Amino acid sequence: MLSFRNCCYGDSKATSGVDKDLPESHEDALLGLKVELIKKACALAFKAHKSPKKYYLLEKKKKKNRKWFEDDHIIISFHGSWASTDWFVGKSYGDTMINQELFPSLKSIFNDEVAFVNEAFQLRFESILSNSSLKHEVKEAMTKGKQIVFTGHSSGAAVAILATLWVLEDYLINNNKSKNHKLPLCVTFGSPLIGNHIFSHATSRENWSHHFTHFVTTLDIVPRILFVPFHSIQPVLSSILQLLNPESKTSHPNSERDSLTSEFYSTVMRNTATVTSYAVSNLMDGANLILETLPGLVDLSPYKPFGTFIFCAADRPPVVVRNSDAVLQLLFYTARVSDLSEASDVSKKSILQHLRYEAELQHSFENLYDVVYLDQLEEIPLSADGSNRLTTTTALDSLELDTRARLCLRAAGERQKKKKQNEEKINKEFNEKAAASMKHLKDYKATCEIGYYDAFKVHKDERDFKANVKRLELAAVWDEIMEMLKRYELPHEFENKEEWIERGTMYRVLVEPLDVANYYRHFKDKDGGPYLDRGRRPRRYRYIQRWLEHGEKIRSEEDYSESCFWGELEELRKNANDKYGSFEDVKERVLKLETHIKAWFERGNLDKDVLLEGSTLVNWWKSLPSKHKKESSIRSLIETSQKTSMH
Amino acid sequence: MANNEASPFESSDMLATFVASTPLLAESWRLCNHANTSPAAHRSFVAERIGRVAYVALSGVQMVGGCWYETWRNMVALDRMDDVAVFSCIREGEEPVMVHAGILNLFNSLLHSFKTQMLEILENKDTKSVVITGHSIGGATASLCTLWLLSYLRSITSCVSVLCITYGSPLLGNNSFSTAICRERWSGNFCHVVSKHDIMPRLLFAPITPLTSQLNFLLQFWQLSMTSPDFGKLAVQITDKEKAELFTAVMDYSEAATQGDEEGESQGEASATILFRPFGNYLFVSEFGAVCMDSPAAITKMMHLMLATGSPDCSIEDHLKYGDYVDKVSWQFLTQGNSSMQRSIPESSYEAGLELAIQSSGLANQESLIIPAMECLKATRRMGPSPVLNAAALAVSLSKVAPFRAQIEWYKALCDEQDEQAGYYDSFKSRSCKKSMKVNINRFKLARFWNDVIEMMEKNELPHDFDKRAKWVNASHSYKLLVEPLDIAEYYRKGLHRTNGHYMENGNRARRYEMFDRWWKDRTRRDGATEENSERSTFASLTQDSCFWAKVEEARDWLDSVRSESDTNKLALLWDKIEKFEVYANQLIEQKEVSKDVLAKNSSYSIWVGDLRELKQLREKLKVFPHQLTSILDGEVVP
Repeated sequence: MLSFRNCCYGDSKATSGVDKDLPESHEDALLGLKVELIKKACALAFKAHKSPKKYYLLEKKKKKNRKWFEDDHIIISFHGSWASTDWFVGKSYGDTMINQELFPSLKSIFNDEVAFVNEAFQLRFESILSNSSLKHEVKEAMTKGKQIVFTGHSSGAAVAILATLWVLEDYLINNNKSKNHKLPLCVTFGSPLIGNHIFSHATSRENWSHHFTHFVTTLDIVPRILFVPFHSIQPVLSSILQLLNPESKTSHPNSERDSLTSEFYSTVMRNTATVTSYAVSNLMDGANLILETLPGLVDLSPYKPFGTFIFCAADRPPVVVRNSDAVLQLLFYTARVSDLSEASDVSKKSILQHLRYEAELQHSFENLYDVVYLDQLEEIPLSADGSNRLTTTTALDSLELDTRARLCLRAAGERQKKKKQNEEKINKEFNEKAAASMKHLKDYKATCEIGYYDAFKVHKDERDFKANVKRLELAAVWDEIMEMLKRYELPHEFENKEEWIERGTMYRVLVEPLDVANYYRHFKDKDGGPYLDRGRRPRRYRYIQRWLEHGEKIRSEEDYSESCFWGELEELRKNANDKYGSFEDVKERVLKLETHIKAWFERGNLDKDVLLEGSTLVNWWKSLPSKHKKESSIRSLIETSQKTSMH
Repeated sequence: MANNEASPFESSDMLATFVASTPLLAESWRLCNHANTSPAAHRSFVAERIGRVAYVALSGVQMVGGCWYETWRNMVALDRMDDVAVFSCIREGEEPVMVHAGILNLFNSLLHSFKTQMLEILENKDTKSVVITGHSIGGATASLCTLWLLSYLRSITSCVSVLCITYGSPLLGNNSFSTAICRERWSGNFCHVVSKHDIMPRLLFAPITPLTSQLNFLLQFWQLSMTSPDFGKLAVQITDKEKAELFTAVMDYSEAATQGDEEGESQGEASATILFRPFGNYLFVSEFGAVCMDSPAAITKMMHLMLATGSPDCSIEDHLKYGDYVDKVSWQFLTQGNSSMQRSIPESSYEAGLELAIQSSGLANQESLIIPAMECLKATRRMGPSPVLNAAALAVSLSKVAPFRAQIEWYKALCDEQDEQAGYYDSFKSRSCKKSMKVNINRFKLARFWNDVIEMMEKNELPHDFDKRAKWVNASHSYKLLVEPLDIAEYYRKGLHRTNGHYMENGNRARRYEMFDRWWKDRTRRDGATEENSERSTFASLTQDSCFWAKVEEARDWLDSVRSESDTNKLALLWDKIEKFEVYANQLIEQKEVSKDVLAKNSSYSIWVGDLRELKQLREKLKVFPHQLTSILDGEVVP
């Protein structure tokens, strides 16, 4: 069946995780989650609301009567909270920088921007983490090799998401990948959005998307609430949240409640429309300049969906969507009305559906065999008839999507396809052009008589000129990649691919010395300060270095690496040649550089050619005070090298 | 790559949804209405702040009696507003930028109070953005106010966003005006809301001189109705026959306007009569939705086609119905569109998008208009690669021309070490180095590359922030520093200054360099980087003022003039200029901002310095023996 094919663009890696043996083998499973487990999670998510004093509920397997549990599951559920301060804190959308201590991976490696997350949700998670025994419980379960499933409904879901991410991060850092560790899963019901585009990007990049399954009923208002700036709903938010609380005892008179919900629904939908139509206009073309002007005037909500969404409508088969651009569009299009007169009816449902996940899911699971995976979005049919791909059509019909909505889904699909094509394109370019240029430079390096850096810096032969051309060609290839990454035009997982980390590192180590040499050859330090100063070192090198550091989970504290220490060396050399420069001023820096150089040689990161007689490094070192040289950590290195070259 | 060629979607309908879903339309219309109805605001404007957005609405009730009549379709040139140059990229040989004379008058009468208001708004640090709006004539005035604000903000470096929203505004400027707005990348700052049948935005296509008096009655009717719906009755009514004549005339001329476009470049006769041209974005509203577009040709066509569905009566009434339209489009997004879909939906995304646009513009039930409407939308379809792809391709081209640049750099080093000691500039000027020919060819290739870049920018074929990307700002800057001296050398070598004036005058300097100056200037402004002058200990590798040599050439000219000038006033003026340059040059040299070729023993500059010294010595002597002036300068007396 076509619709069951795994997602063909972009997410192929993501689907290889938990749901790799989808779908035929487990007919009672959805995305590799057993239906009974989902139901149990849902029940627990609602049960948690009844015990608001407890931080979380923990359900361990009971061997006797829970045969559907494989021996190794535990479910941890978090209750919701309906005080408006538990939803919005601070400025317009209540978002804040994510806690980098707890979530070091949730950032954009390229732009070095930290993900933003809803502050209220984060505060609540932090308080649970530090006040409860959650840490201990998780550790114990992980050590025993149990599968942890975090769950929650409403704002409880937000906590469950953060808990899952925290365990994933923790696992990643401690990296004790013993075999019996199972990575946690997260199943949410009616979850609000919690993070911005970087949050969504980083979870995809880390290949975590498939750990998150979000059930959303088509009309539920909660997943859309955070599209609204706080100030425009502040007066009504408390009352609305009371209506959304399944345990709420207060009751409003009907008429008052209806006008409240009706107004709330249209405010939320209007803001949802702004966010989604802006997103899709950019997906479709984005060339009209009005798209640049308006965001300066209208504060757009930063929140974006992530993970896998399952849209459920009563009596209809559930629809699984993994493309987060598409999810964003669906959040708008599934909750529209066919006529304005329906608005008040729909607005009531938008509240009620949030409370009825157990019942709604019951219906959905009866249609489980018809579950539809909405993939290959760029090819979905645009009208209800005229297609033989029945399952997809059913899905689109069951979500009541009109042509406009379907076009938006196609735009989301095209974007994903485009990212894949971009990756193919740069792969091709790399193999065709860059590889040859790299080889050229390697040969050049091998044949430089006065050392690679110095030969290039002197730049007196035709071959130096040719090497410079190759340097420029490579820069073009990598700058194009940088440009694409900056704009998120490559698949999210691109930056996590070892192949590219390796290519990048080879490039950086081989070519950056030439950039430094060129910089100082043209006295660019006179115009812009030292090479290593902020904004001087080309982005491609800074970034590729971060790439490596992220891949290896090391945190860089150093100002320079083996590829750009030349910049520091040049600055120190300037000091040594300056009549006002004194050795004592830079002693710390000299010692540091020497220590690094020694270490790089030991690790084989630096080649002997830097130690040739007459090279910048050797000349500089020789100019240092003899007292220092006597004890210098690289003294033996330099002296040995001098001796060998003498022979 | 084939599927990169044309954009796969038609998004005019989606863009309109985006604009309509924001609170901007509702808020701005409310204020427009307020400006129209409150007598205090007549012939003026009202201002209001909502959150961090400042709204200013120009009243649509601006005109009294004959002023409109007198200036009907008269255009005047617009180059400066309040002494600020409006457009920075006017080209030689193009039709000058012109706007409606009457509206410019109105604007000028408002400028003082508007400016005071604006400065007050901008002084408030809380102001994040400004919306300038207006209905009818107020819309056209609002456009000029916005234009003033945009050029003002550009001159003071501000990050305040500006949007102009007009309702049923008459046309304002000619084709050059529209193009200039586009080149400044300001078309996204104008959103003209035009209803399906409103005749006002289309009126100025037609030279209806025979109907001017009726037109004035019509304007009175509109203005009175805007003040209060009942007042409309007070106006002199025009007959149905006259309405029909007006309607037919506008229909005919708006059609003629579209034909000008279809004939392409050779507009010939048509363009002679069609003076006015839409600019910025148009948001067309109908009872079925809205579409947003920014191509002047498509807008002109749509204006005609949508009017064709109307009648003389509704074309007049529609001008007063923007409140209803705004209300409608701000709710439309909430409902599904399937019910109104009568025609079958094509399977191609692009064609389906066209279909939606046709529906939203309310043309779907007029079979004869569908095809032309689709054709005009199709003509705006982006056929080339997307801006992002263009930028990527340019990056590759840049690396291809990099060797040319590297070769020139190499040549410079060579020149600086030559025996003649003439330096980079003079070696090239005299072609004394044998590599000069090759370098000259490289110079051409680089110029072509950079000219192409600028042309692509102005055609909006590159990403909006292209000129802010460090890569391009730096590359263009170093290109300028390296190659402009060669351009200057070539200019003077050929003696072009004798016919066209000096390099720095009269737009002789290539436009690309002026653009790059701006990019570079904006960059330092943006990063807040104070031009940190870390002291140079050696001379720069390239002279930091790329026009330095042009200044030397001018200074040389002055020196020559001094020798032959006898008028003491003029002489004093010349000496003043010379001394100023001397100070400037010395300062550059002292700060080591010049490359060492400037100081080469036989460079033009060194020679000039020598000449100056001689002349000064002469002058000293002249002070002692003024009567010898002529003979000394004639060279008869050698000091």
